[in-house]
Amino acid sequence: MSLTASLSYFGRTALNGIWRSPFVHVIAVSSLAIALVGFGLARMAQAQLDKLLYALGGEVEMTVYLADGTTPEKIAELQSALAQRTSGQTRLVSPAEALGRLAEQLGQQGEALQSLAENPLPWSVEVTLPPLAREPEALEQLSQKVRTLPFVTQVDYGQEALERLTAIARALKLGSLIAFVLVFLTAVVVVSATLQLAIYSRREDIEIQKLVGATDRFVRAPFLIEGLLQGVVAATLAALALWAFALFVGPRLAALFSFLDLGTAATRPSPRLLLELYGIGAAMGLCGSVVAVRRFLHV
Amino acid sequence: MFHVTKAYPGDPPVLVDINLDVQKGEFVFLTGPSGAGKSTLLKLMFVAERPSRGQVLIAGRNVARLRAGGIPYLRRNIGVVFQDFKLLPTRTVAENVGFTLDVLGTPREVVRARSLKALKSVGLEHKADVLPPKLSGGEQQRVVIARALVNDPAILLADEPTGNLDPRLTVEIMDLLCDVNARGTTVVVATHDASLIERYQKRTLRLERGTLVAEALGHKAAALMA
Repeated sequence: MSLTASLSYFGRTALNGIWRSPFVHVIAVSSLAIALVGFGLARMAQAQLDKLLYALGGEVEMTVYLADGTTPEKIAELQSALAQRTSGQTRLVSPAEALGRLAEQLGQQGEALQSLAENPLPWSVEVTLPPLAREPEALEQLSQKVRTLPFVTQVDYGQEALERLTAIARALKLGSLIAFVLVFLTAVVVVSATLQLAIYSRREDIEIQKLVGATDRFVRAPFLIEGLLQGVVAATLAALALWAFALFVGPRLAALFSFLDLGTAATRPSPRLLLELYGIGAAMGLCGSVVAVRRFLHV
Repeated sequence: MFHVTKAYPGDPPVLVDINLDVQKGEFVFLTGPSGAGKSTLLKLMFVAERPSRGQVLIAGRNVARLRAGGIPYLRRNIGVVFQDFKLLPTRTVAENVGFTLDVLGTPREVVRARSLKALKSVGLEHKADVLPPKLSGGEQQRVVIARALVNDPAILLADEPTGNLDPRLTVEIMDLLCDVNARGTTVVVATHDASLIERYQKRTLRLERGTLVAEALGHKAAALMA
């Protein structure tokens, strides 16, 4: 017995099966491709949101406000302690500089600040954090630690905005995961239904195969390959559809959301996404065929 | 076969307490009227059916206790000529014959060569690429015999192999089965054709209502049909 001869036979039988009933296979492949395009679009949107979050994290600096009357020596000491603890870059902001910035932000209304008898703003240290420390949880922990340092009165890192965006990203991830599971199951049902028809139309072949000594595995293999082929063809179609989407719709979306700086390169399907499409496509096809073979192929 | 009984729930038994011994290389006719249990007896031999009681030993293996996974390997040693042909109408004659070799994982070119050789032995090499529905009943029967023989099986079971043939073709097919037997294959033929039994004078077993009622050898076999 030759394995290559058997594999060649399985492949030929599977292709012959597709050739004999093309309509049902077109329906199955289309359903799988639509499911995979949905998955691909969700992954591309998620990648953009991650990029946005990362960019936002880069803009957020931690501002550490110091108590009145902190001596220059203590300020220098604290600045170096902060640099050490956060592994970031620190910059000392004097009350005068802070007032100047506030006046600038307020515009004409800022002129009113000149009438103040004395500057109410404290000395502060701005910390630019390394990428690893930009996660909301990490930022929260760091701010707790910094608050315990002497002469520190308040710590601000724009936590509300960051937490809200992170919550949106999480909800999107969860939503897309649930949608993915539903779409996966639906695709499996569609594939198994088409293979049920294939099994029915080839029942005579199956009967004779069994009578001339075919093992159960031998009878089942072509149907499994048929499901696998459906998944791979659907993944190819989905990859082409996503590429076309990126080519024709991507630039328009980037222009529409130009303030987010999406760029064009990131809107194309990445090699990793292509691998995921083929992996999931093959898995959906194979799962569908396994279900069909188990339920409908009584050998 | 030892004390083999086959019954289906709710119906009278099809075979009752059959004791039968077929030697390696033997040629045996199974005869009897329609419904006597000839086809069921053959089905027990290639494990399309299991006995309700009793033991069936083929080449020393008790098929009554054979696990489902072992059946395909047993069948690869048994060629079967079905009464209703069981040819695939959408596959060519050569593909139908090669089906037996395909399931063994035989390379494609070897399948083709051996299928043509088997078709040549039944005089149908020139019809290799024709679809079965284009053939006459006799030709289809010969294709089925080629399919049963392509794998050089140790045992050949034939259920009414000449039932659809004219007298000239009947002789041709029977001569072919005798040739196969002469090369060492054990042959069991189920038939109710008295002329065959008379002409070939082989060991003959007569079944009636599921029971083995008589057995004869040589020229005495014809008397069983009376």
